[in-house]
Amino acid sequence: MLSNFVLYIFQGISVTIAVTLVALPAGLVIGLGLALVYNYGGKWAARFAGIYSLLMRGVPPIVLLFILYFILSGKYINLSPFWAGSISLGIVSSAYQMEILRGALTAVGGGQMTAARAIGMSRMDAIRFIIIPQAVRLAIPPWSNEASIVLKDSSLVYALGVEEILRRAQQLSATTQQPFLAYGTAALIYFVLVFFANRGLDHLSEKLKLPTNPV
Amino acid sequence: MKRFLGLMSLLVLASLLLASCGGASGSHLDTIKQNGVIKVGTSADYPPFEYIDESGNRVGFDIELMEEIARRLGVTVEWVDMPFDSLIAGVQEGKIDASISAFNYTEERDQVVDFSEPYYMGEDAFLVAESFTGMIAAPEDVASFKVGVQTGTTQDAWLTDSLVAEGLLPEENLFRYDRADQAALDLKNGRIDVMMADYIPAAALAEQIGGLKIAYQAVISSGPTNIVIPEGDAELKQAIDEILVELESEGFIEALGLKYFQ
Repeated sequence: MLSNFVLYIFQGISVTIAVTLVALPAGLVIGLGLALVYNYGGKWAARFAGIYSLLMRGVPPIVLLFILYFILSGKYINLSPFWAGSISLGIVSSAYQMEILRGALTAVGGGQMTAARAIGMSRMDAIRFIIIPQAVRLAIPPWSNEASIVLKDSSLVYALGVEEILRRAQQLSATTQQPFLAYGTAALIYFVLVFFANRGLDHLSEKLKLPTNPV
Repeated sequence: MKRFLGLMSLLVLASLLLASCGGASGSHLDTIKQNGVIKVGTSADYPPFEYIDESGNRVGFDIELMEEIARRLGVTVEWVDMPFDSLIAGVQEGKIDASISAFNYTEERDQVVDFSEPYYMGEDAFLVAESFTGMIAAPEDVASFKVGVQTGTTQDAWLTDSLVAEGLLPEENLFRYDRADQAALDLKNGRIDVMMADYIPAAALAEQIGGLKIAYQAVISSGPTNIVIPEGDAELKQAIDEILVELESEGFIEALGLKYFQ
């Protein structure tokens, strides 16, 4: 009985990972776009990106999730709870990822842009081939923090009807009246997932480190 | 990195497109029959009506009843598990075709969704710890205790409207929980004195957790228990109602009751 119980919670792992694997890249694409717009897009575009970031970071994720869900999964666009939930979570995360990448872009420094322009590169080429490759490397350590937050926040999509680890733990707590075992199992799974995700990203960061980076 | 980003955005776009396809015209019931699937929302944390058993199967009175109804409609059930208080919104927004989750009829709910004919008559119960020494001779008597209830239930509405709004029960003595089992555990731990819930699940909780007993039972807020159907969906309602009448006359529902409520 106990092994079945634990197995049932384990079946939620794939859902949690799938939600994270949609939300994180979705947030990265939007976040990187907005960070570029903020740093290089001119006054009005930067202002727009700034307001977006403020709004998204100023509202609790669960509230945003509900609002986005009803937009993404309404009468006109009809996504399944999984896609709507994951993409909503990605949008919530995009604001944080934007701030991380914005900081990294700034850290690469204006001197590099000037230098690239001086050797005849266009602005776009300088951003693509000089700035972004360095900024993304710089962003990995703070980004791994965001990755573990998204992984843990993925439990929020249950509110939209996606059965992931935490929901399965709740159901079994209701059936067996052993909340400690149910939530303890869930906690352990989250910890292991976050642990390996962070180890993987640390490894990546080390591997991609530029010789000139003092980090 | 560039290639990775391009690939990712392509993937996200492709899945967006895929997910947004589907959905035929025609009546709701026709669509359900065409797809061969009825999406039914439930909150599987309410034994014995709907729960996950120790092997991880979705079981319970409502679950078996709905699966039999679907079988007779010629479709299969796709279960969608949601928090109880999201279910009505799910039906309203068309996220699910119907919902079965021990729903009692209330006027507020009836304004936004429709109900099938009742398949079960519920009673309310006040659950207390075995060491409880207070007196509950009438429902209003609970006003002098700390009361726990599951959010969004008819019991929550009754306590709020009949006791809190009337000034009998101080707001700070009403404790609302996401799920019934959380309230029952708090009851056992002594954080609340009384828990109000449907009688059958309350009895199941008392037996499972131990050290709890039912102090009072009567029809207070509950009563007819029905399947929730989208507002104005007369065709689906009629189809489900006809099957419910069949199941009642065949003794199917009574047999289910014996299986789950004993």
